Amino acid sequence: MVVGTHGEPYRGDIPADSPDSIRNGASRGLDELAQVAGKIRGAVESVIEGKPDAVRLALTVLLAEGHLLIEDVPGVGKTMLAKALARSVDGSVRRVQFTPDLLPSDITGVSAFNQESRDFEFKPGPIFANIVVGDEINRASPKTQSALLECMEERQVTVDGTTYELERPFMVIATQNPIEMEGTYPLPEAQRDRFTARISMGYPDPGAELEMLDVHGRSSPLEGLAPVAFSHDVRALIDVVRQVHVAQGVRRYAIDLITATRRHPELRLGASPRATLHLVRAARALAALEERDYVVPDDIQALAVPVLAHRLLPTAEAQVERRLPEQVVREIVDRLPVPTPHR
Amino acid sequence: MRVKLACVAAAATLLCSVGLYPLFEGQGWFWSGLGAVVTVAATGLVTRRFRLPAAFDLLAGLAALHLYLTARFAAGEAFLGVVPTPSSLYALAELVETGWAEANKYAAPVPLVPGLSLLVTAGVGAVALMVDLLAVRLRRAAPAGLPLLAMYSVPAAVREESLGWPAFALGAGGFLALLLADSREQVGGWGRPVPSRFRMGATTGERLDSSALAVTGRRLGGVAIVVAVLVPMIVPGIQRDGMFGLGGDDGGGGAQTVTTPDPLVSLKRELVEQDDAVVLTYRTDDPEVAAGGRPEYLRLYALDRFDGDRWTYSELRSSATDRVRDRPLPPAPGLTSVGFRRVRTSIGIEDRVRNMTFLPVPYAPTSVDIRGDWRADAASLMVYSLRHSAGGRNYRVESTRAMPTAQQLAVGEPAPMEISRRYTRVPPNIPEAVRREARSIVGDATSAYEQAVRLQTWFTRTGGFVYDLNAPPPKHGADLVDFLLESKRGYCEQFAASMALLARILNIPARVALGYTPGTQGSDGIWTVRSRDAHAWPELYFQGAGWVRFEPTPSGVAGQGSASPPAYSEPAPAEGEPAPGDTAVPTPAATDGAQPSTAPNDPRQNRPDDPGAAGDLGSGADSGLPVAPLLAGLLVLALLITPMAGRAVTRRRRWAVRSPSPTEGAHAAWAELRADAVDHGLIWRASESPRATARRLTGQLALEPEAAEAMGRLALAEERARYAPTPAAADTLRADVATVRAAFASSVGRATRWRARLLPPSTVTALRSSAGRLLVVLDRLDATRLDRDALLRVLRRRR
Repeated sequence: MVVGTHGEPYRGDIPADSPDSIRNGASRGLDELAQVAGKIRGAVESVIEGKPDAVRLALTVLLAEGHLLIEDVPGVGKTMLAKALARSVDGSVRRVQFTPDLLPSDITGVSAFNQESRDFEFKPGPIFANIVVGDEINRASPKTQSALLECMEERQVTVDGTTYELERPFMVIATQNPIEMEGTYPLPEAQRDRFTARISMGYPDPGAELEMLDVHGRSSPLEGLAPVAFSHDVRALIDVVRQVHVAQGVRRYAIDLITATRRHPELRLGASPRATLHLVRAARALAALEERDYVVPDDIQALAVPVLAHRLLPTAEAQVERRLPEQVVREIVDRLPVPTPHR
Repeated sequence: MRVKLACVAAAATLLCSVGLYPLFEGQGWFWSGLGAVVTVAATGLVTRRFRLPAAFDLLAGLAALHLYLTARFAAGEAFLGVVPTPSSLYALAELVETGWAEANKYAAPVPLVPGLSLLVTAGVGAVALMVDLLAVRLRRAAPAGLPLLAMYSVPAAVREESLGWPAFALGAGGFLALLLADSREQVGGWGRPVPSRFRMGATTGERLDSSALAVTGRRLGGVAIVVAVLVPMIVPGIQRDGMFGLGGDDGGGGAQTVTTPDPLVSLKRELVEQDDAVVLTYRTDDPEVAAGGRPEYLRLYALDRFDGDRWTYSELRSSATDRVRDRPLPPAPGLTSVGFRRVRTSIGIEDRVRNMTFLPVPYAPTSVDIRGDWRADAASLMVYSLRHSAGGRNYRVESTRAMPTAQQLAVGEPAPMEISRRYTRVPPNIPEAVRREARSIVGDATSAYEQAVRLQTWFTRTGGFVYDLNAPPPKHGADLVDFLLESKRGYCEQFAASMALLARILNIPARVALGYTPGTQGSDGIWTVRSRDAHAWPELYFQGAGWVRFEPTPSGVAGQGSASPPAYSEPAPAEGEPAPGDTAVPTPAATDGAQPSTAPNDPRQNRPDDPGAAGDLGSGADSGLPVAPLLAGLLVLALLITPMAGRAVTRRRRWAVRSPSPTEGAHAAWAELRADAVDHGLIWRASESPRATARRLTGQLALEPEAAEAMGRLALAEERARYAPTPAAADTLRADVATVRAAFASSVGRATRWRARLLPPSTVTALRSSAGRLLVVLDRLDATRLDRDALLRVLRRRR
């Protein structure tokens, strides 16, 4: 799947010297955000060749305080993207390799008896980090997968009746193989719903692959990657994103879009209200990344497929006809009128 | 299999065939055609099972149709009543021949003789075959309308007037049903239609089917039919000649062509009639009669067209305005300056007379008092009916009998252009010998009148002609030439036809009149006309006197007994006696106590020398005629200007707001940009945001940087006005819109550019949105109807 079929990033059409609130100094935060985001993007793109859309979306999800699901066949750079993003932010990064025998406590942590204090002491699991890279998440049993549920949504962990808050920013970047691959368990709907967006990497084009050979042939590019932002920078950026304006019409547009998925005859399960929240939040982040202090329908359109498609279940008939949720979402976006002043 | 489609195609053919009803008497033809349609449809169903090439289907259909025709019309000659044999083929061919002859002989509605029935059945069957082949086999439902239209156009061409709108609506409905059935089948083949935005809101989780499309189609079709029926009534200038003869039979009515048996054929038949039966009797107050003279001939036809072989009359264009019951007849053409008498004649036609659809009346009738739908032709003043026969009828005729003197006729004013062009036409196949003969007969005579008198004298006295009823009727131009130059034997038809032809060669407007001589007067003063009084004579046109009778046929014992040359047509020495006055000046010389008057005293004749009057088809509406096209033209012009004006007004209104807020300004500019894009035929998508639209149009049209920047500014202004907390101030929007419009104009073709200026499509969007609202109302109506149906079902169950 290719990310962002609708509403490519807007380059060149709007004159750079046009009157814009950003340039009017309405928000200095947006300037900073652009600067930092630009650095992170540059850092990640130095590792992942030829995938600017995937990188931009990953960054969007980070700023929207969401979690990212990267789905593709093995060996296209899923883990590389996750690790590069994690490394370029100077926060704690943990990586979990999901295997069929992984237990929930291997993620959340365990209470161990401390001989010295003669008390149970909580040993935090790898989930206690700013960025958690869950590799091949769908190779773990559903039980272990669901251990992530509470962490992802409520940003807290409860072990033995004690609740531990997770640090901000907190982002889970999970990679998974397509479910047709051997030894995989499909993620339950509830789990999928907690990921803000799902992207596919896709194969790089020949040029990028050639360059990759040159670079990766000698050493791993990850090794030379230094952090370009602190985690408190990212926290500040997230606060800026929350200030982005969403007009009434745009909100309604998002709701119309979500409602259309619920009524579509080819979908068994439409998008949840959480999806609406994620969609608008991600749209805010995207607008901020574009240095805008307001959301336009194009943001919603650009994010509709990555944010919604993995949550939708096609009907049996649609499956027989090989209709993918992505196609349905794209059709809805094509048909739904954008909010105008009269509506 | 497409059984349903095949059935609908057959039904459409049948419905369209209903339009043939005015052509025939009775309904037998319909059932016969029904059989043909069913045969063809059934054959189509069977042959399509074998999946043969379309040509085989056609051949199979033709074969089946042939079998059906054989069984229906030549069963006696066929093997087992169905299988064609040489003799059955011969019988069919013979039937076709007689049918063809009958069709050419009678005016509609014709009696349904077997030959005609065969023709119409074969025709309907052929149309059904074409429709079946096109719509069902080839899946081209729209072209299948062509054979249907061809069938429909037959009655429309022959009898426009009486083809009522129900017949049209039935035919059109049949065709629409065919289109609907076809498109439904096609939509069905595509699977479930994609839901639209409207339906998404309306139907939750409910499966969509093609019925919504079908409802829309039915609505469109219904509206189209209603518009087609109603618009001709509204638009000025159309409704009198109603497109479908709305109210045809006794209301307004349109013009139509009249076909009757060939008058010349019946003339000969009547002349040689053995029993010499009485045709009509009449009484006249013509003072000429009291003075011992004879009344005017009773004329039935005026044959104005000579095709080289035969004299016929031009097609009559009849409309209800020509009806003689309601109004006086048109003035006699050309009768302007000579004296005339008013004559009243009461005529009774015998019961036994059949098929007399033209009334015998003395020339020139001014009013005819008769029951029924009788009409007059303005140019020839023939009185005829499309539906009645004159047999058994009594009627009164008022006529003017021109009393020209030789001097008046000799004045020789030229005839109006219209008359001379129409009535001096000589076909090119007339041999030079005849033309020479004509010139040698008249010799040095210069005036038209003198030439005419010499012609008549040549026929009656000096030419050596013999009246001979046994001469064969002239069938070809050569027969006339033979009569003139060689045999010189013939009866009134040859005489009248030849004299009219010679007159035309000499450039005297002439035509052949057919009718009856005055007959014989009984002791009670009643004149009796028998079939042997049937007669033909030439009428020549003289400006001032109009159409004047001449008599080239020998009269008396050795000729047509009751014929008599008029006084003015005798050679000069005989002049003077009957004339009301010898002066050329029109004087109201009331010699005989009747009421002669000169033409200018008659208010109706104030404009008879109007050249248009003679050939004018609808002279009843003469004053209204120029107004209607003018109004129609204005209407068309107004309709054409409306979109342009509407666009200009909208543009003005958008910019009219003084010191608009940035939001209003941006909205106005964007609306203007949108209208410009639509005007230039560019696609505008509701699902695109301003910046997406700007990006697409910029790329699509490869706009210059300047225009692209202007477009970007407009998009950004609109975007901020719509979605941002604070709109951007923009002052250059109007100029930007102008820049972008110019860029649009230069990037599209010339035709599109002119359409954008003259017929901007954006004005239609307003109409469309109104139509959308109308559709919503219709949807609600549908919904209430469903509710009502449900309610009825519940009530029925309770009962």
